Amino acid sequence: MNSTFRDLLRVATTGLLARKVRTLLLLLGPMIGVAAIIAAVGLTDSAKGDLKAKVDKLGTNLIEASAASSFGGQDPTLPIDAADRALTVLAIEKVSTIRELQNIIVTPYEEARENFETVPIPVLAADSLLPEVLEVPLLSGRWINGFDEDGRTRAAVIGAGLADEFDYLPGELRTIELNGLRYAVVGVLDRVELEPGFDNAVFVPFTAAADDFLDLGLEDDIEPNKLYARSVEGSEEIAADALKVAVNLGGPQDVSTEIKSEALELAAQSDRQLQLIVVSMGLLAIIVGGLGIANVMSISVIQRSAEIGIRRALGHTRRIIALQFLLEAVFVGIVGGLLGVLLGMFAIFVGVSIAGWVFVMATWLAPGGIVLAIVISVLAGLYPAVRAARLEPLETLRLG
Amino acid sequence: MTLDVPDFDPTRPYMELTGVSRVYGSGSAEVWALRQVDLRIMPGDFVSIVGPSGSGKSTMLGLLGCLDVPTEGTIEVDGEEVTRLADAARTRVRGRSIGFVFQQFHLIPHLDAVSNVETALLYRSMKPLERREKALASLDRVGLAHRHDHRPVQLSGGEQQRVALARALVTDPKILLADEPTGALDTKNAANVMEILSGLQSVERAVVIVTHDVGIANSAARKVSMLDGRIVSDEVLR
Repeated sequence: MNSTFRDLLRVATTGLLARKVRTLLLLLGPMIGVAAIIAAVGLTDSAKGDLKAKVDKLGTNLIEASAASSFGGQDPTLPIDAADRALTVLAIEKVSTIRELQNIIVTPYEEARENFETVPIPVLAADSLLPEVLEVPLLSGRWINGFDEDGRTRAAVIGAGLADEFDYLPGELRTIELNGLRYAVVGVLDRVELEPGFDNAVFVPFTAAADDFLDLGLEDDIEPNKLYARSVEGSEEIAADALKVAVNLGGPQDVSTEIKSEALELAAQSDRQLQLIVVSMGLLAIIVGGLGIANVMSISVIQRSAEIGIRRALGHTRRIIALQFLLEAVFVGIVGGLLGVLLGMFAIFVGVSIAGWVFVMATWLAPGGIVLAIVISVLAGLYPAVRAARLEPLETLRLG
Repeated sequence: MTLDVPDFDPTRPYMELTGVSRVYGSGSAEVWALRQVDLRIMPGDFVSIVGPSGSGKSTMLGLLGCLDVPTEGTIEVDGEEVTRLADAARTRVRGRSIGFVFQQFHLIPHLDAVSNVETALLYRSMKPLERREKALASLDRVGLAHRHDHRPVQLSGGEQQRVALARALVTDPKILLADEPTGALDTKNAANVMEILSGLQSVERAVVIVTHDVGIANSAARKVSMLDGRIVSDEVLR
């Protein structure tokens, strides 16, 4: 190692270590700035990674087609054979239909009716294929099956959220009152990430719904108002377009379709904006930190003017004095940056642990953060260093 | 006089000021701190420069210490003309040829005694161990080797000035320049420092004391008296 550099290193480190409180103050700026940037990028990346994993797991190929009320109809429906029509689209692999039922008061038991009259709990008539199409398992019990349909039984499956709310234990034989009619709860459906509304819903067979809530004759089938379809992975856009036409064929009903994973992807987009905001705040913090360094070091130059004067008298050149102060700034940058990286990583770790995500941190973040801290610190140290170098020893030593 | 030092010429001055003037300000605010001063500091000199405040002795000290450049005239230090040197080169001449002792000691407060002495040896391509040994030897010379790890605040004024002396001597300078070295000390410590200073005078070194104290000035071997920016007398006392 160059002996001048070695001497400089020694002077800079002893200078910093001799004034610990001041050095800590100097460290705060780059530390907080870098930590904020790393935490912001890391946390949003982790969230995005989690969202991406979630979307991958749930599949991007779930399409919802619903009857649009474009003709002003109060309760628009799809054709009775909507499922068969949907299956004529080659890219569609499986289909399930539902009918959203209106004005049904759901209570755990008759006596509680008054408490639940104002609580809107969605009740849906669903076919036996719904869990398979949504790719969501049952937490307990079973789904509505062909026997329920044929036997027109009052069977119901409830969402996991509703099961929690009504204190239904898995496997427990319980009933639920729909407009005062007692239905047997035969199963609990797990959370449906792509359709959060199902968490709180009650599912009943089409036939029972026809009997109890739609005032239809025995021979009538209920028209669905919504269908869920899984397409071949990757062709969901085309499938969605084709679905509109296929379901619409021969009927006046207008159909609107939605690819369910797009909402999640949109959420990832908005996280990106949040990331930008927090990173900007981090940058602001590090710039303010840099100004702090410039300020504290400038004061330090004034306080240490006698020291600078004596060093100059002892033969240290202006260049050496400037380098000594710059090197102090470099150290502040390195140590502040390192501490900032650690603090930022800790923040990501805490955030990820709380949210239950997977820790994601881009490889460039740590070196990038340290380099940024050094650059800011050196820029901030430039002015005080030049000021220190320009001091005239004759003036600072108060001779004679 | 014969010496086994190569190129040693006792007749060649260590420092020579020729026709030196120093003017501060310009126009109507012009102040002539020094007017046409000639002065030679010879090897083995023990000189005091004395004068009341405003006599120009502080300006003289700045020029002798290569901390300032004259408005007119030339200054040679150990044969090298420093007047027209750039700041960096002048700084190197200063570091090589001149040792400073100040009234206020000017030790670096966060460094212990030996590190303060070592500061004079930084940036000289010296190994840390060698530097430490030299600094300790220099402290030993002023009788403070045992207090090498004490910080300035833990030392008395007299001790601090002796550390400053050790720092000035550690580079083995040709000229030791002392600015009111006893000004901040009590009588006993002042006598002690003066004793060390006079002991430092050798054929290869000149000691220059700048002071307003006539008593101190008279304890030197040669006394240069100043008044109104001029040298009014230059007498050999002993």
